Amino acid sequence: MPAKKEVCNADGVRAAVQKVADGIISEFLDHSTRDFAIIGIHQQGVPLAKRLISIIKEKTGYSPELALLDISMYRDDIGVRQDLPQINETLIPFDMNDKAVILVDDVLSSGRTIRAALDALTDYGRPSLIRLAVLVNRGNHEFPIGADYTGIALEVPKERKVAVEFVESDGQDRVSTIDWKKQLSQGDK
Amino acid sequence: MGKFNWTKKDLLSIYDLSPEEISFILDTAKEFKKVSQRNVKKVPALRGKTVVNFFIEPSTRTRMSFELAEQRLSADIINISASSSSLKKGETLLDTIRNIEALQADLIVMRHSAAGAHAMLADKISCGILNAGDGAHSHPTQALLDMFTIREKKGSIKGLKVAIVGDILHSRVARSDAWGLLKLGAEVRLAGPSTLVPKEFEAMGVKVYHNLKEAIEGVDVVNLLRIQHERQQAGFFPSTGEYAKFFGLNKETEKYLKPDTLIMHPGPINRGIELDSALADGARSVILEQVTNGLAVRMAVLFLVAGCVKK
Repeated sequence: MPAKKEVCNADGVRAAVQKVADGIISEFLDHSTRDFAIIGIHQQGVPLAKRLISIIKEKTGYSPELALLDISMYRDDIGVRQDLPQINETLIPFDMNDKAVILVDDVLSSGRTIRAALDALTDYGRPSLIRLAVLVNRGNHEFPIGADYTGIALEVPKERKVAVEFVESDGQDRVSTIDWKKQLSQGDK
Repeated sequence: MGKFNWTKKDLLSIYDLSPEEISFILDTAKEFKKVSQRNVKKVPALRGKTVVNFFIEPSTRTRMSFELAEQRLSADIINISASSSSLKKGETLLDTIRNIEALQADLIVMRHSAAGAHAMLADKISCGILNAGDGAHSHPTQALLDMFTIREKKGSIKGLKVAIVGDILHSRVARSDAWGLLKLGAEVRLAGPSTLVPKEFEAMGVKVYHNLKEAIEGVDVVNLLRIQHERQQAGFFPSTGEYAKFFGLNKETEKYLKPDTLIMHPGPINRGIELDSALADGARSVILEQVTNGLAVRMAVLFLVAGCVKK
């Protein structure tokens, strides 16, 4: 298999984001109260969260509040991993207590990021409900954590990583899989 | 924040840090400051890590600040002071530190009266070492909290005029502040009696003044250092009264400051000597904010350094 292989292009990404947004709309806006917030996990959860908000607003007129969450301080591998933590802004502009919130990340893999995010969220308050939305659910979970809304479900072998690119942060919309070892030896992105 | 990788297992001096590393610490500290403003003032970042606070020279505020920073990061903490350490029984510093390392400590926060003590140890052990002050040489976390405070208030440090006034000769705070501020592009002025601020300091790239009014005229920040009574006994200046008259910031000399000049002091203050009470408690004073920011900056450096200590 090549070092980097495209899974889907810009059209595929657009359809996947749409699918996630539709899932959220059908749970929150068709049946229950219109009071929920969307929390983007740095890095790639943030552009995805913003897109979801804009689609939901366009389709329903309701604009969920946006929060940003950095989970560096909650990781379970400080001093173990090679690349060192870089902390981005956490911004939660509302009271977390009794709030319904949707955590958003680009890829659900081991589940460790989500575990850290759940710990972080509960230090800010006691949400009434937490859901998880991801663009790609790649399998290989190491924790008993699943996604409530998934854009693309993939079965990817462990030695390959799933990379999501967004126009906002990377100049293009694309999902690909990358071989860790080949990437290291070739210096490919 | 741009992509940046922190790679140091120790924090030894400001002089060792690049401008990018200093900015990265200050950026990181911004997020840690928010932790102390939450209801739950604790994160699990250093859970399971052991930090030893080894203060061979007495310290109240730096030690308290480090200790609280470690607690807010969920580290396990041991405190050793000079009187309770085996240095009293004739053990060498290196042996004491190796004993701490043998207990699987991850980080050692140390204050020592000898300049360079930390650098000497850092190469010999795998624990991370954080300098909480070594003699008159370096006090990196004080400089970082001062820069954090200035940056928070003024937006940026580049191009600012900063006067540091007092006993520069014996001050690790003055040296660390000056190096850090120069690295970030500030104009640094050092002021005080010629016995305490020799012209030789100009080799660093700062300007030396022996007249307070000239030194503080038009500056964006004035940082006053504590005048220690024992220096007077050693003959560096005739009396604290005379020092206050020529180098104290008071109603008279305040006139030379701009309306938005920040008044800083690393504490503890000798009210009425280097700084009048009205100014220490006035609108331009950021002295207590320095204390608040010290906690955030220490959380940031503990976090970054811990991330580099490999077992």
